[in-house]
This record gives sequence, C-alpha cells and structure tokens, in this order.
Amino acid sequence: MVKQEKASANRPDNTAFTQQRLPAWQPMLSAGIVIPGFVLIGLAFIGIGVALFVTSRGIQVLEIDYTGVEQNSPCFPCTDQNRKNCVCDVNFSIDTLFQGPVFFYYGLSNYFQNYRKYGVSKDDYQLSGDLSYFKAPSSTCSPYEYDKNNKPIVPCGSVANSMFNDTFKLFQIVNGAKKQVSLDGKGIAWWTDYNIKYRNPSVTPLKNAFNGTVKPLFWSKPAYELDLSDPANNGFINQDFLVWMRRAALPNFRKLYRRITDGDYAQGLPAGNYTLEVSYNYPVLSFGGRKKVVFSNVSWMGGKNEFLGIAYLVIGSMCVFMSIVMLIVYAKFKFPEED
Amino acid sequence: ACLGLADIKIWVLTGDKLETAMNIGYSCNMLRDDMNEVFVISGHTLLEVQQQLRSAKEHILGLSRVSSAGDVEKTDMFAEDSVFEETIIAEYALVINGHSLAHALEPQLEHTLLDLACLCKTVICCRVTPMQKAQVVELVKRHKRAVTLAIGDGANDVSMIKTAHIGVGISGQEGMQAALASDYSFAQFRYLQRLLLVHGRWSYFRMCNFLCYFFYKNFAFTLVHFWYGFFCGFSAQTVYDQWFITLFNIVYTSLPVLAMGLFDQDVNDQNSLRYPSLYKPGQQNLLFNKRQFFMCTLQGMGTSFLLFFIPYGAFSVTVKEDGSNFSDQQAFAVTIATSLVIVASVQIGLETHYWTAVNHLFIWGSLTVYFAILFAMQSNGMFGIFPSNFPFIGTARNCLSEKSVWLVILLTTVVCVVPGLAVSFLRVDLFPTLTDKVRHLQQTTKRQGPQEQNLRRVRRTSSRRSAYAFSHQQGYGELITSGKNMRTSTVSSARSPQRTPHSSNWIENMLKRKNEVSCISV
Repeated sequence: MVKQEKASANRPDNTAFTQQRLPAWQPMLSAGIVIPGFVLIGLAFIGIGVALFVTSRGIQVLEIDYTGVEQNSPCFPCTDQNRKNCVCDVNFSIDTLFQGPVFFYYGLSNYFQNYRKYGVSKDDYQLSGDLSYFKAPSSTCSPYEYDKNNKPIVPCGSVANSMFNDTFKLFQIVNGAKKQVSLDGKGIAWWTDYNIKYRNPSVTPLKNAFNGTVKPLFWSKPAYELDLSDPANNGFINQDFLVWMRRAALPNFRKLYRRITDGDYAQGLPAGNYTLEVSYNYPVLSFGGRKKVVFSNVSWMGGKNEFLGIAYLVIGSMCVFMSIVMLIVYAKFKFPEED
Repeated sequence: ACLGLADIKIWVLTGDKLETAMNIGYSCNMLRDDMNEVFVISGHTLLEVQQQLRSAKEHILGLSRVSSAGDVEKTDMFAEDSVFEETIIAEYALVINGHSLAHALEPQLEHTLLDLACLCKTVICCRVTPMQKAQVVELVKRHKRAVTLAIGDGANDVSMIKTAHIGVGISGQEGMQAALASDYSFAQFRYLQRLLLVHGRWSYFRMCNFLCYFFYKNFAFTLVHFWYGFFCGFSAQTVYDQWFITLFNIVYTSLPVLAMGLFDQDVNDQNSLRYPSLYKPGQQNLLFNKRQFFMCTLQGMGTSFLLFFIPYGAFSVTVKEDGSNFSDQQAFAVTIATSLVIVASVQIGLETHYWTAVNHLFIWGSLTVYFAILFAMQSNGMFGIFPSNFPFIGTARNCLSEKSVWLVILLTTVVCVVPGLAVSFLRVDLFPTLTDKVRHLQQTTKRQGPQEQNLRRVRRTSSRRSAYAFSHQQGYGELITSGKNMRTSTVSSARSPQRTPHSSNWIENMLKRKNEVSCISV
C-alpha cells in the first residue's frame, strides 16, 4: 500500500496536454480533396487569367524613346554634353482615339535606382523638415552633404541630387498650328508621401529656412523654387520631387509625370499628329541608359501588364492538367486497403 | 517480441545465475524452442573462451555459407557491416557468463565476441558485474553504427546507463540511483515499449519535419536576395524591410513550426504500438539524410525563385489603379514579404498532420500578427515617433489596397505550394510507405466508428510459457505438482481446477525432454 501511495505522488501530469492526447483534426491528402481542389484552382485561375488578359489587351500604351542615340533622331543634337538648355521636338501620331484619362510617364532604362549605396544616401530628418539637420546633414548623404565651400546641401544625398529634370510640353498639330495639351501635375505622388513622410520646415516664407544652405550640385533651381506657379508645390513636397524620391525597384522603370485630364482632352487624345517638346537636361548616355516617354491609360488592374494574365492562364491550365494526371494515377493504383 | 519486430536487438545483462537467466529468457520469449542453437560460452581461460567463440561462429557461418548466396566469405566485412547479419536466416542465441565475458572483452577477443553476438538473435550475459555491463555497452557503441539504450533499475546498472547513448532508469523498487543517472526514467519496464515505439518515433518524426521546414523557410527567405542581386547591380540591396528581416524568423514563422515540433503525430499511439515496424525509418535514418536535406534546399531555392520572379514580372510595368506608379522598392518589398509569409504558413499547414487547437492558434495567429505588425509599423503614428527608423511609411496601405498586388500574391502562393502538394500526393499513391498505409487505415477506422475496432484483435503468437522460473536441475516441481505432499488431492483440484489437466502434460514433457525446462502455464 505504501508503495502505491509513493508511486502516485511521483506520477507525472496526466492531462491531455502533457500526455499528448490533445483532440485534433487529422487531415489526409486524400484523392477526394486534392483532385477536385486542383480542378477548382485550375478553373478559377483560367477565369482570372482570361479577365486579366482581356483587360490588358484593352489598355493602350504608346512608348517613345527620345534619348537620341541615332544620328537621325530629333534629340541627337542634345546629347552633346556641352549644350545647355537644349530643346528638341519629337513628332509622333496617334491612329485611334487614345481613351482618357491619359497618363504621361517618363521612363528610364538601365538606371539602378535600387542600388544600395545610392538608396541610403538621403537624410530622412532633413526631409521631414527638421531644421537642425539643415545645418548639419547626416553623414549618410556623403559625398553630397557639403559643397566645396563647406556649406550644407539641402536636400542632401545622391537620390535628391540625381532628380530627373527633363520637362515636357505636349502639342497637338491642328490645322498646322500647335495646340497645347494641358498637363496636370497634382496628386501624382502618394498621399502619404505628400502629407506625412515629407514635410517642409515650418518657416514662412520657405525661402528663409534655406538660408545658409546651397542647392544640390546637379540642380538648376533651389528646392524652394521648384514650382513657381504653385506655392504649395515647393520645397520637399514638390510632386515631381516626391515621385523621384520613391525609388524604383528594378532597373527599367517608369514614373508618373503628368495626367491629361482636363479641357478638350478629358476624353482622351484624339487621333492625329502630335509634337512633344523636350527640354533635354538629363544625361543618360554615359552609362548606356535610355529615356523614354510613355502614354498609357489604366484599368482596374493597373497599367498594361500581360505577364499576369498569361501567368494565370498557364498556371490554371497546368493545374487542370495535373489534376487529370493525378486522377489517372489514382484510378490505376488504388490505395491498398489492408496492410 | 514487439521490440524485436521493430528491428531492435535486445541483450540481457544480468547478475543472476546462468539457469535463472535462461529461464527468464524462455519466459520472455527471447529464447525459443524453435531456435537452431543456443550457444553457451562458459570457458574459464582465455583460450577456452576463444575456442568456444570461434567454434560457435564457424557453426553459424558454416551452415549459412551453404544456404546463403556465398557473399559472406570476406573477413573484412565483419568489422562494420550490419547488413551481413541479415543474411543469416537461422536463429541463434548466445549465453555467456561473467567469467567468460571477462576474457572475451580482452582486446584480442572483443571483435570475435561482438561479431558472434551480432549474428545471434538474442544475447544473454549472466553473472555480469556492473563494470562489465558498461564494458559490453561500450563495445557495441564503439564498433557498431547503432544507437544503444540501456535500461536498469538498480545501483549496479548506473555505469551501464551512463555509458549507453540513452540511459533509462526504473525508479522504484531498488531506489532512485538508476533513475537519477539516466536520461529518461519511469516506473515499470513495460513502459519502455511506449517510450521507444510511440514517443521515440514521434520525436524523430517531428524533429525531421521541423528541420526540413526550417531549412526550406530560410532558403526561401534568403535566396530572394540572390536573385535580386542580378537586378540591383549586385549592391546587396535588401528586398525586404529591415523590420521584416528581424521579425521574420522570430515572430512570423517561429510559432507554427514550434507547435508542429511539439504536437505533431503521424500515426496515433495505439497504431504505433500495433505496428512496431513503423520504427524502422528512424533506425535507417530515412526521414532526414543528405538526400532529404538536398530536396528541402531545392524546394527552398525554387520557392525563392518564384517569389522573386513572379512579382518581378508583374511589377516591371505596373501602375496603380489611379495611374500613379507603385513599382517602387518599398511596394515590391511588401509584396514579396507578404507572399513569403503566406507561402511559409501554407507550407507548414500542409506539413502538419495533427492539428490541435494550439496549431490552429499559432498558424492563423502568425498570419494575423504579420498583417497587424505590418500595418502598425507602416502607419503614421510610428513614423511620427521615429522618422528614420520607419521609412516604409504608407507603403502597406498603398500597396495592399491594389487588386493587382493581391492577384500577384495569390499566384505566387499557388505556384509555390501546388507542386509540392502534387508530388506528395503522387508519392503516397505510387509508393506508399508503411506509415502512409497505417495512416490511411487509421482514417478509415475512424470513419467506420469505434464499435468495429473491438473486433480486430491482435493475435498473440507467443507460445504460453510460464510465469515461474525453475532451476535447471530437477527440483521439487514434480514432487509438488504430483500432489504427494498435499493432504487430499481433491482439495488441490478444488483450489485450481485448471491445473490438473495440465499437470499430466507437464509430467509427460518432463519425462520426454530432460535438458530443457518446460513450465506449466497458469
């Protein structure tokens, strides 16, 4: 009797948790689940793929490379580095109505905005309006933090320094005369960038905040004069600046420049001849990059992207095919019932 | 017997006399009547022991050389190959006493002893000292590629328990010394079966799954940067947010795999005991070896490839619904990170065979926590407090509110998971292992309902031998059971009515076989 009492005192816990007896669901990969599952996924994917592909087909895109590599291209004279403020005209035509609203992008190729050293070269405190960093930019911006006279650069860093500065004007040729297409530059950056991430220093007028600092070496205008027509679009919350600061993930990218939404062109760009007047300032030929302009309209799935549609179709059909194969295999090698 | 089916060799090392040990052997079914030969080594000098060992070995090998294919002639195979033992078809047993063992453990004889012992199905060492117990265990450990387990209940077993790979102590009758020195301790010898066949097997199974998944998850996570290197000028730009990298292994994916490692069962405990040969994959290192590791790694690499290139294809020209672009670094990061967490969670879900409430909580909880932390870290509030530590402000909101991003995530998840699913389904159908068959059986049994299970009883194949140990010499058994020293024979028959018909059997057997011991079944 004594032994039994001692044994029960030493007995380990006998709960379901400690004795591995927890109630559980034990699913098994049975044919009844897997094969219909594959068929379902396959059919759903084919459906989505068709929808994506059809939508993508309906999106119009027009790309114009204006780098000026060939001798006969309109912007070839501007590729000479010594020419300042070069302007070139690129003519193109549209065959059918380009459905509005039309979005105007500039695109760069072979441009590695995702390079790590480039990407860390900015000062977040400066860009959120902290004046103490105006006087002493952080060392992450080097070598673009002080100029040769040891004055602080605002905004510092190579991301800001390399801001895209080509400007474009679009004209439609109507009866031999140029008719300007108005471009809308409001709201092209993310709302969170404009309102929260980047803040101007709270000094009015803005120009005074920049006393004792210099503009980035590559810029032609200082930050507080980026947009003379709209006072709310200056400083660090300039829309073009914000679009540029949102670094691209891949070496060939596009960034939104303007929208064509009002006036006569609210319904889209009608068929006809057009001229694009480019103020060619941004040099890309030294590293084999290319510049282009892209006109596009959008849909519920974004811009024209045939990859997704095709991928869904391919995967959907493969799933259906796999389910047929598995059905055949299952029918031939039925699971043995007894051990 | 059950452990024997699981390919576990059992050696008995006892301090008892030879006869006692042999009787115990017969009663436990380790020594059987139908064994070809029971070798008893009881020499007194080194030479005698050597001679006995050699002759026993030649006896075994001589007979088997005739019967087997003839590939047992190489002498150098004796040293390591355990496959060699399986070519021996007949069953032998070896009984050696402590005195001879002392000689046999000398360096020149220990290989012979080991080879002979491994050729035999059962080895019983009697009259061994504690030191010799440890020496025998060490002999096996050193020269064989086997894992040794020593179980004992007294202080004299402590050295043996310490020497073996796994030491098991029985706590109770003879005090706690054995239990204190051991890795595992329980109260009765019979629990060893459960320890090995149920918990040991589960432990191996869980450990292998855990390791495989861990390697897969980390390869999938890390190699995305390898692919990205080709597109970012090899500048070591990370694809993910810094916080994601920190939290991925700690918060987002650690708990589900922990739950799997604690609770997963492929076959429930009754079936583990019923089919001891399920234990074999553990012995043969089948579930996690170089090949399995390579497959895990390959799967991780393939997943990382898909995780990168599908968003790459989708993002190269993508824009948001309102036209503004979002093929930027941060949105790309959030998309890939979300896909990765979802793929990892789905994968652990597919590999968990036994979903307890804890598993459910951890898996779904991890996903929820991921999204919660994602939105919290990229919210305005966090940015307000630490501007330069949370540069991803606003990305999650802008990125995950786009339908195309969710389509990309869905596609990536399905493409990463579906091949593995198809392969495992086909493997189970085309090459089912014993585990798969037992699991299938388990599931059909569960569906049939519990009342039908009672009809399928395991048939006991052991012959009913005694629960008594008798001395080898003709003792008093005959005298007692013949009833001569009882007062009236009717009283004895009234007390145990079953005994009388068997007693005549016993006497007959006793008269027939003089050298063997037969006992009455009770």
